[in-house]
Amino acid sequence: MITTEVTADELAVLMKKAAGITVDPQELKRDAESPFDFFGLDSLGLLGIVGELENRYGLSLPPDSERCRTPREFLDVVNSTLKTGA
Amino acid sequence: MSTQRLRRAAITGIGVIAPNGQRTDAYWKSVSEGIGVLDRITREGCGHLPLRVAGEVRSFDAAALIEDRFLVQTDRFSHFAMAAAALALDDAGLGSGEPVDPFSIGVVTAAGSGGGEFGQRELQKLWGQGPRFVGPYQSIAWFYAASTGQISIRSGFKGPCGVVASDEAGGLDSLAHAAGAVRRGTDTMIVGAAEAPLAPYSMVCQLGYPEISTVEDPDLAYRPFTSKACGFVPAEGGALLVVEDEDRARERGVPVRATLAGHAATFTGASRWEESREGLARAIRGALDEAGAAPEDIDVVFADAMGVPEADRAEALAIADALGSHGRRVPVTAPKTGFGRAHCAAPVLDTVAAVLAMEHGQVPPTPNVFDICHDLDLVMSRARPVELRTALVLSRGLMGSNAALVVRRGGESAR
Repeated sequence: MITTEVTADELAVLMKKAAGITVDPQELKRDAESPFDFFGLDSLGLLGIVGELENRYGLSLPPDSERCRTPREFLDVVNSTLKTGA
Repeated sequence: MSTQRLRRAAITGIGVIAPNGQRTDAYWKSVSEGIGVLDRITREGCGHLPLRVAGEVRSFDAAALIEDRFLVQTDRFSHFAMAAAALALDDAGLGSGEPVDPFSIGVVTAAGSGGGEFGQRELQKLWGQGPRFVGPYQSIAWFYAASTGQISIRSGFKGPCGVVASDEAGGLDSLAHAAGAVRRGTDTMIVGAAEAPLAPYSMVCQLGYPEISTVEDPDLAYRPFTSKACGFVPAEGGALLVVEDEDRARERGVPVRATLAGHAATFTGASRWEESREGLARAIRGALDEAGAAPEDIDVVFADAMGVPEADRAEALAIADALGSHGRRVPVTAPKTGFGRAHCAAPVLDTVAAVLAMEHGQVPPTPNVFDICHDLDLVMSRARPVELRTALVLSRGLMGSNAALVVRRGGESAR
């Protein structure tokens, strides 16, 4: 079974693509518990990333995924959804 | 009860992104020399449409002027507005790095159509791929209010904000709104309009206007007040101004470039040009009253110049009705024939031209117009040197709004 996982590196790319936010992936990893505000990402920006991921993997993320406060929290939600294939 | 001095609204900063100049000095050079930049439309996806000529803002490098996080969530009309606002703030000595109280600065813009290009792109995703492919910024980018919001957010301003959606004359109404905010106690307002109507969807919307010129020769497409008048040519771009309490400007030690002395607006119905005569005349009288100015005080008129024979006639008669015999002597100009009519931004660009004309003591010419069929002293061919203290700016919208604004040179006071 192939396990897909979205990494902090990929999240950094998505933040740039969907919300125009430039963030160093290392910094994103290191400060994964910091709120998205800290990186300059608002909830509309995160909603765009949710849409990108849903389209890419052809699945639905849980409601209110765009309200995750931190990169860590968001990646946990995304990756546990990918694992269960919800 | 203490006597409160009446606060006056002063223009202390100007930012222009126009087809004929992407800085204020470049704009004035083109305007004062009567350089025409109307040309065939080159924007992608527009080549098959029967609207051929416009004033395009070419080589506008949004990415060099605006941060990515603002670019991805905004339309071209907001890019112009943000770039112009930054230029205006720099001009007023309020650029980034200057210490300001964020609550002392508000923003008001006028908009005629919002972000059509952005909206079209997302709607194409909606119908082409499905609702899940529509980006979230569609919820804000195409709104009339987008530029006001983004200018505020980008600079961290927290003062009173507003959006004026009152047709093209709303460009002048937004200046009045800002002057009112300053009189009520806000220190500073960022105000003006920028438009981006040259994208496929937006252009198709405009094709329904009988007033639009579909003439293919850029030199012949927009000739108001002539017997060959065949409609107006649209343009993109705009101008933002810094308007602040005159006393505060003097305390800050920045030059007062002009004061917003009087404004009035009326409404006479869509494309009812004959009736716009009375509407415009009444707006002029109202603006003069508020400014405490007599008709003879007006040194120059920046005309609306719709380019439709009935509308041109109504405007010429309105000037005569409101200014009396002075209306036949006062120099009238319409620099917008050189770069087009940028909807709500058109009268704001005219207001900028009026301020610059007063600073330079020159009435700029009306490009491409050589023989007029109305009883007006229209300035043609080249700029006319005249001492200018007070200017009148006129604007009408396709939906029936009329407005007039009286602007005084910095340092001039009411009689």
